[in-house]
Amino acid sequence: MKRNFPLLLVFVFGILGIIPFILPHPMVQNTDEFLRNNLLKILAAFALILGLGSLLRVHFDKIRRKGQNWEYSWVLIGTFVVTSIIGLFGGVSGTGILPTRLGSFAFDIWTIYFNIEVPLGAAMFALLSFFMASAAYRAFRARSTEATLLLASAFVVMLGVLPLGNEISPHLPSFAQWIMDVPNVAGQRGILFGVALGMLATALKIILGIERSWLGGGGE
Amino acid sequence: MTFIILASIFALVPPTAVRAYDTPDDRGGAITIEWQLSADDAQLQRYEIYRSENGIDYEKIGLIGRGRNQIEDDTEDNKQYIYKVAAVVDSVRAFSEPSSTVMSSAQWLNRKKINIIIAVIVFGGLILFFIQHARRGRELFVREIAGLHAIDDAVGRATEMGRPILYCPGIGYIEDIATIASLNILGEVAKKCGQYETKLINPHFDPIVYTVAREIVKESYTNVGRPDAFDPDSVYYVTDSQFAYAAAVDGIMLRERPATNFLVGWFRAESLILAETGASTGAIQIAGTDQVSQLPFFVTACDYTLIGEELYAASAYISREPLLLGAIKGEDWGKVIIGAVLIAGSIIGLLTVFPIMSVFD
Amino acid sequence: MKIIDLLTKIDRRIIYLILFTVVTLPIIFPSAKSVRVMPPVEKLYNAIDNVPEEKALIIDFDYDPQTLPEIEPMAFAILRHAFRKRIKVLALSLYVQPLGLAQNALVNVAEEFNNVAMTREDSIIYGRDYVFLGWQPPPLIPILGMGESIVNVYKNDYYGNRTDTLPLMKEVKNYADVGLLVSLSSGDPPKWWVEYAQNRFGIKVGAGITAVSASEFYPYLQTGQFSGLMVGMKGAAEYEEQVETELNIRVRRKASESLPSLTYAHVVIIIFIVIGNTGYVISRRTKGGRP
Repeated sequence: MKRNFPLLLVFVFGILGIIPFILPHPMVQNTDEFLRNNLLKILAAFALILGLGSLLRVHFDKIRRKGQNWEYSWVLIGTFVVTSIIGLFGGVSGTGILPTRLGSFAFDIWTIYFNIEVPLGAAMFALLSFFMASAAYRAFRARSTEATLLLASAFVVMLGVLPLGNEISPHLPSFAQWIMDVPNVAGQRGILFGVALGMLATALKIILGIERSWLGGGGE
Repeated sequence: MTFIILASIFALVPPTAVRAYDTPDDRGGAITIEWQLSADDAQLQRYEIYRSENGIDYEKIGLIGRGRNQIEDDTEDNKQYIYKVAAVVDSVRAFSEPSSTVMSSAQWLNRKKINIIIAVIVFGGLILFFIQHARRGRELFVREIAGLHAIDDAVGRATEMGRPILYCPGIGYIEDIATIASLNILGEVAKKCGQYETKLINPHFDPIVYTVAREIVKESYTNVGRPDAFDPDSVYYVTDSQFAYAAAVDGIMLRERPATNFLVGWFRAESLILAETGASTGAIQIAGTDQVSQLPFFVTACDYTLIGEELYAASAYISREPLLLGAIKGEDWGKVIIGAVLIAGSIIGLLTVFPIMSVFD
Repeated sequence: MKIIDLLTKIDRRIIYLILFTVVTLPIIFPSAKSVRVMPPVEKLYNAIDNVPEEKALIIDFDYDPQTLPEIEPMAFAILRHAFRKRIKVLALSLYVQPLGLAQNALVNVAEEFNNVAMTREDSIIYGRDYVFLGWQPPPLIPILGMGESIVNVYKNDYYGNRTDTLPLMKEVKNYADVGLLVSLSSGDPPKWWVEYAQNRFGIKVGAGITAVSASEFYPYLQTGQFSGLMVGMKGAAEYEEQVETELNIRVRRKASESLPSLTYAHVVIIIFIVIGNTGYVISRRTKGGRP
């Protein structure tokens, strides 16, 4: 029962996910909308509570055990509590029951978002350029004919997408565009066909109960 | 002059051949109205569409610009309607003849999707056929996938060095097939960690994926007879912000110095940040994703990369279950069919210079 | 040997320092240059330009702060184009993070036009010329639901107004009243709009994406599923160029100003790859051809 009930649920909801695509009748579409609009949202809310509980438990445990870098766990818990209170009670732009302004200094949730989360996220994304440079320098070697061809194409595309490419040769941007439009798309399509078929097979295996490792056991 | 202008306006030609029909392949509540453009279409400001339930009283239900000859109306099912279309210039309207009576209704089948149904039946049938084939005990060959072959060595390396294994399932949600495939591999890795008592660190981006992963890891430890070795805090939720998650995983890599990093699942731009940071710590890295835009980064920075469907094949490859291997065979034959159709279509397309090929039009 | 080590084992901190310098200097001393507009961007420009008078343009704002430098200039350029041509705009987001960025773009561009408007007719009025629908979770709900009725999916707009009371929403009921949808995204949403909205309801879709995702979206442009495509900062700069040339809107071109940084960064990466490969070739020859 413990294993069969989840398998039955997966089968039923898997089929219910496919049918609305083919059958436009309101009886089918309304059921689909109910599942998407209501059930999924409720599931997501409960899962979020579980996730947050896990996060806080891990860090409280670290503090209790005085594990490595336990002081930073206080930083995480402190910022979590403060941001939650401001977000829940301070309103979107300082319109809630909790005052979120001291003179001209605002600390409502949007201020926190734009002045802390946004710059931090942008900084992390900006690291990509440095990692790209060091990875390219370390790994892009013309070890074989194919690798050399790949390297040459990379140079053409890198220069072709810049205004500099047009100054080197007016044909370079068009050639770069051709590489993106033809060989690149051909390669992408090959992978996409394989991925699409793989998705179909995996979804079928899960719906039919052939693939059961997600249950926590092996396939039987 | 005014008389001439008025005369020309009053001779406004209405649209003709108004045809109203139940919009096909829908959930009902819609009627499509089509008409032949007025001969004065170029002079018109718009067409107005009128609807009646009794053929006598008409109400305006919509308007559309000149040059256009089709519109859809929201209706009540199983109620009779009649339509007229008017050509409009200023306050002058030239009405068409009324359409025939029409009712909207819901259809049970969307005929435009029939080709998809056929494709799903054909490919699904192939997969099921090979699964049956495997059930009869036939040996099925699957080529070596280096990344999956290296899992044992990777776990062994971590055990010998006394350092943990980091398993990062990406930033996908539970409905992403790559995430499900990643969780399958996590189960196998967790079994080996349980057997060899190697520490596993498994941070998560999505709370639902976290709850599923926790159960998978716990079950894996139980299956190898080491439920006591399972540490509930080894699997935990971090954040659902993409780069905050990347920063957290980078921090784990730099502090905990895992010997082996698994970056398997659904990734976006943070993939290179994770892979390059892992490479800088000297860890062996096994990556896998179906996101073609991230594959180049993994190939560059990781030791092994599972490309696209190699990730989906992981569970079959590791367990060597005949049923799962049979599904891979079915996929491969599906690709053969697609390839054959593409080649045939390309050849036919090239041959269309010959008149006889017009039979394919 | 020393030369080989010098060429193949440059400390990554030196690479980072040089990259930082060449990227930062053009930002401190900005200059915007003309760019050549490529066909994918031209197609998108024409697709927006040809949106019929009675139909609306939906803009899906799905970029986050991390990809803001690449995609926000696209949003600003498209909004300037739409407002200049008096194309009705519906703005929405499939996620919560981009909401603030979407509001920022809408408010700023509307203000640009209202600062020079002489009459109410010339002004960009909320509710009449554009509506900000906001966000409805999960992402598939609005994509599928708007095929039937937009006001049923978004009962209230971002500011809390009932959408069925807004003048624009009385004319734009569902996808049949939408001429084009442009998804500005750093992820998969453009694909979802094609897979669900275009496949089911036939709506035209265009996209503005990050450069790193370009390769996976080109197939959609080639098959005609995308009516046009802007890729990365260069794509944004091309659209800015098109807007300035065709519509004579002269404002600060953020994407175009960032192109020199992009150029020098690419050149530096190419130089380091060449250095690395030079060292590799020398080391192979020195070791008698052993890799």
